[in-house]
Amino acid sequence: MRVFKLPDLGEGLQEAEVVEWHVAPGQEVGVDQPLVSVETAKAIVDIPSPWPGKIARLYAKAGDVVQIGAPLIGFEGGEDAADAGTVVGAVQVGQDVVTEEASVVAAPAAVSIKAAPAVRALARQLQVDLSMVTPTGPDGAASAEDVRRAASMLAEIGPRLPLRGVRRAMAQNMALANAEVAAATIVDDADIHAWRTGTDVTVRLLRALVAGCRAEPSLNAWFDGRTMTRRVIGKIDVGIAVDTPDGLFVPVMRDVGNRDTADLRRGLDAMVADVKARKIPPEELRGCTITLSNFGMIAGRYAAPVVLPPTVAILGAGRIQDEVVAVNGAPAVHRVLPLSLTFDHRAVSGGEAGRFLAAVIAGLRRPE
Amino acid sequence: MTVVASFEIEYLQFLDQLGRVSQPLPGFARDPRALVPLYRAMVLARTFDTKAVALQRTGQIGTYASSLGQEAVGVGTVGALRPEDVFLPSYRESGGLLLRGVTMEEMLLYWGGDERGSDFRVPRQDFPICVPVGSQASHAAGVAYAFMLRRQARVAVCMLGDGATSKGDFYEAINFAGVRALPAVFVVCNNEWAISVPRALQSAAKTLAQKAIAAGIQGVQVDGNDVIAVRFAVERALDQARDGGGPSLIEALTYRLGDHTTADDSSRYRDAEEVKQRWAHEPIGRLRNHLVEQGAWGKNEEEALHAECTERVQKAVDAYLAVPQPPPEAMFDYLFAQLPRPLQPQRTAAAQESGHG
Amino acid sequence: MAEVNMVQAINMALAHEMARDADVVVLGEDVGANGGVFRATVELQKRFGAGRVLDTPLAEALIAGVSVGMAAQGLKPVAEIQFTGFIYPALDQIVNHASRLRHRTRGRLSCPMVLRSPYGAGIHAPEHHSESPEAMFAHIPGVRVVIPSSPLRAYGLLLAAIRDPDPVIFLEPTRLYRLFKQEVPDDGEAQPLDACFVVREGKDVTLASWGASLHETQLAADALAQEGIRAEVIDVATLKMLDMDTILESVGRTGRCVIVHEAPGCAGFGAEISAQLAERGLLNLLAPLQRVTGYDVVTPLSRLEQAFIPSVKRIVDAVHRVMEFA
Repeated sequence: MRVFKLPDLGEGLQEAEVVEWHVAPGQEVGVDQPLVSVETAKAIVDIPSPWPGKIARLYAKAGDVVQIGAPLIGFEGGEDAADAGTVVGAVQVGQDVVTEEASVVAAPAAVSIKAAPAVRALARQLQVDLSMVTPTGPDGAASAEDVRRAASMLAEIGPRLPLRGVRRAMAQNMALANAEVAAATIVDDADIHAWRTGTDVTVRLLRALVAGCRAEPSLNAWFDGRTMTRRVIGKIDVGIAVDTPDGLFVPVMRDVGNRDTADLRRGLDAMVADVKARKIPPEELRGCTITLSNFGMIAGRYAAPVVLPPTVAILGAGRIQDEVVAVNGAPAVHRVLPLSLTFDHRAVSGGEAGRFLAAVIAGLRRPE
Repeated sequence: MTVVASFEIEYLQFLDQLGRVSQPLPGFARDPRALVPLYRAMVLARTFDTKAVALQRTGQIGTYASSLGQEAVGVGTVGALRPEDVFLPSYRESGGLLLRGVTMEEMLLYWGGDERGSDFRVPRQDFPICVPVGSQASHAAGVAYAFMLRRQARVAVCMLGDGATSKGDFYEAINFAGVRALPAVFVVCNNEWAISVPRALQSAAKTLAQKAIAAGIQGVQVDGNDVIAVRFAVERALDQARDGGGPSLIEALTYRLGDHTTADDSSRYRDAEEVKQRWAHEPIGRLRNHLVEQGAWGKNEEEALHAECTERVQKAVDAYLAVPQPPPEAMFDYLFAQLPRPLQPQRTAAAQESGHG
Repeated sequence: MAEVNMVQAINMALAHEMARDADVVVLGEDVGANGGVFRATVELQKRFGAGRVLDTPLAEALIAGVSVGMAAQGLKPVAEIQFTGFIYPALDQIVNHASRLRHRTRGRLSCPMVLRSPYGAGIHAPEHHSESPEAMFAHIPGVRVVIPSSPLRAYGLLLAAIRDPDPVIFLEPTRLYRLFKQEVPDDGEAQPLDACFVVREGKDVTLASWGASLHETQLAADALAQEGIRAEVIDVATLKMLDMDTILESVGRTGRCVIVHEAPGCAGFGAEISAQLAERGLLNLLAPLQRVTGYDVVTPLSRLEQAFIPSVKRIVDAVHRVMEFA
C-alpha cells in the first residue's frame, strides 16, 4: 500500500484537523481530486490527491487531529515511496488495459464519378446528378463541359423529386432483389371453366398456393445467398401485393395452410381495410414465406414479377378472360386464368417450380 | 618543462558554518545592523518558498522549484545590484527575485501558469525565469554588450546552476564575454545537484569557478551559504565590470536542501542522512547566530519578523487567488507587436469557444 | 541609381538602416573585417565601427542568444548565420526565447532581431551548405520567415525586417546572390511584409514559389507562354505570416495551382499552402494541386544538385498535367 502523508501546509503549522473526507475506501480517484478538507489554525484547506489510484484506507476520521508528516490516506498497490514518475507537472496514470482488435482493410467501395471540386460545384449549381454525366476528362473524370452537356439534356426533362416513404421503400427493395436474385419464370394457364359464379378469386388463389407448397415445399422457403443457407418453412405465410394510392404494400396473411375459406375471406377483407386506412402494424408487413401478386385485377396476362428476398417464389395471377381453348379436339370458349411463377433459381430448381405450378393449376381447375 | 599558463582559484568565506567570523569582515558588514536587511530578505524568501510548496501540495499552483537552503546566494547577489543593472535568473531564484522587487503575487502567477507573472512591475528590464538550462547566459552577454556599446555604467548579472555549467550556452557566453570584456557577472549557484545528478558526475574540474580560466576571465569560489561572502564577491565583480575591467564568474557553494521540484522525490537518489547533515550549514541560521552574537538580533525581533513575513506572504497569496483566469484570446495578445491579419480569425474562434465572443 | 545584385542590395539595405538608426547592430562570424564570406557586410565595419559591426567567436547558439539579449535592451541586432547548414544550434534560442519573449512577458520585453542566412543549393558548395530549412522556421509561432527573390525584394524586405519590432528569419537564396542585377534605388523604402507579390499576371494557372525557385518558375512561365498557356506567377516572399488571400484570389480566377519550392516536399511549406487552398479555395479548383519540390532525400552533394533542384522542365510538366483538367 502506498501511504500519502499529510503535507506541509505552510505557515509553520504542525497539525491540522480533519473536517470532512471527500473519498472513501474502495473509491478510484484521479490526480488532483480533492481527498479531504482539513482545518488549520487559519483556514480550511482541501488536499488534492498527489497521484491516481484506489483508496485502501483512511488513517483518520472527521474531527481527528493529524500531524504534518503523519499518514493520512493509503492507496492500494505500489511501493511506499511516492513516485510521481516525473519532475514537472503531473502525468496521468490510467489502469485501463487496451486491446486492439485486428482489423481487416475493407475492399474499396464502388467508385463514384470523379470530378474536380469546381466541376462538382458547377454540377450542384446546375442541378446535374454527376451519375448522369458521361465523363470525358483525364483519369476518367467529368469535366465542366461534360456537366454542361448533361445539364442541357436534363433541362428538357422535368425536375427531380426525391422518393419518400412507400415509393422509396419499393425502390430500395426492388433494387436489392434485382441485385441478388437469379430469377426465372414459368408461365401457364389455369382453365377455370368449372368455377361456380361468385367464386372468390383471391381465396382460390391462396388455396391453390397451398396446394403448390404441399407439392413442392422448397418454394415456401427463405434463402440467404451470403451464407448459402436455406430454410424450408412449414407454415405458409403469404405476402399479398396490394396496390394503393400511396403505393405498393405487401401485407402478410398468416398460416394460410390451416385456415378455411371463410376465415381466409375475413382475413383478406380486414387486411385490405387496414391497408387502406394505413393501420397495418409494421410486423404484419414482414416475414412472408411466399408472395402472391394478383395484378390481373388491373391489367396484364403474364408477368415476371420480382422475387423479394429472403423468399424464393412469387406467383402472379393475370387477367381472367374468355379464351378459345381446345376441348376434346373442338374449339370452346372457356374462362382462363393466366399464371406466372417467378422463382429464385439459386434455391429452386426448374423441376420444383414446374411441379409447384402444376399443383397450383390442378387446384385452380377444380370447381371448388 | 616550460609552463605557459597556470591558475589559482580564490575561496572566500567570512562566516564559518556556525556563524563565527573567520576573517575580517568587509566594510559593508562591519556594522551588524547593516546585515539585517539581508537577513530579513532571506527569511522572507524562505517563508515564501515554504508557502509556495504548500500551495502546490494543495493544488493552487503548478510544479514549483524550491530554493530551500540556497537563499544566501540569491539575496547576496541581488543585494549588490543597482536598480539600473539587469538580472537574469535561472528558475530557482525566488529569494533573488523578491529582493529585486518582483512581487510574490507575480511569482505565484508565474508558477500558477499565468504569463502575467513575468510582466514585472518593478524591475522592468530584468529577464524572466529561464527554464532551458543555461540559455540565459548568452542573453546576459547580449545585454552586457548593449551596455558597453551605449557606454552605460550598468552590469548584466546572470544566475546559473552547477548543471548549467555543462551546457554549451554557458561556455559560449563566458567565452564571448571574456573576449569582449563585457560588463557581466556570471554567478554559478552550485547546490551540488542537477535533479539527481550529483556534482561529481557533472564535471571533472576541481572547481566550477576555474571554467572562467578557459574563458580568460576571473573566477572565484565563495561559501554560498555565507551571505556576506556572496555579497562581497558579487559587489567586487560588479565594480570591476562597471569600471571596464571585464566579466567574472563566481561559484557559490551551497546545498539544495529541497527536492528538484515539487514533483521530484529526492529520497530516490540521495541519502536522507546527508541532507540532515547539510542542514547544519544552512545560511539563515548561520547569519542569525552572528547577528545574535553581535547583539543586533533577538527573540523578539525573530518572532516579529516571522509574523510579518507570514502576513506578507498570506496577503500575496490572497491577491494571487483573486486574480481572474485570463480569457483564451489572451494567447494571441503579445504574440507580435500587432496581431497579423491571418491570426485574427483564430483569435475570434478562441474567444467564441469560451463564450467571450 | 546602381544596378546591383542581391548581395549588394543586402549590403545597401544594411548600410542604409545602420546610418538611419543607431540601434542597428550587425554581428556574426567574419562579418567585420572580412565583410562576410559572401561580402554581404563589406565596408560596414569601416563605416560604423567595430562596436556596431562585430565579429563573434565561432558559436551559432551564442550569436542568436546574444541577439536576444541585445534586442531586449532595445538594440536592433541583425545577426548573420554563415550558412543555414549551421543554423540548427541557434534553433534553441529562436524557439525557446526569440519567438516568445514578448508573449511570455506580456509585452514588457520584446525581441526586434533579424537572423539572416544564405540558404539553398546550386553553388557547388561542400556538403551541408545547400539545404532549405524554411519550413522548420515557418512552424514556429512568434517569428516571421521572409525570403527575397531579387535584389529589389532583398533591399526592401530586409529594411522591413530590420524595422519590424519582432523576430524575423531572413533566408537569402545563395544561388541568386549574384545571378542577375536590378536597378535598386537606395531610397530607404521598405517593401511590405506579410504580402505576396504577383510578379506576372495570367489566367490559366497560378504558379506560387519563393526564393531561388522563383527564377525557374519565371523561366517556366516564359516557356508556357510560347504554348499559349498564360501562367500567373506569385512570389510568396513572406512565408510566415502568409498572405493567403492573394493566392486564393489568384487560384479563384485560374482554378489551377502549382507550387514550386526547392526544399523537400514532405511537410515543406508547399504543404501549408496546399492545405489552406483545400480549406478555403477547394471549390474553385478545376484540377488537383501540384507541388514541384526537391525530392525527399538528403540534399545531395554538388554533383547531383541540379538533379535535385526543381527544373524548368519539371515545372512545365506539372503545368501540362493540370491543364489537362478543363
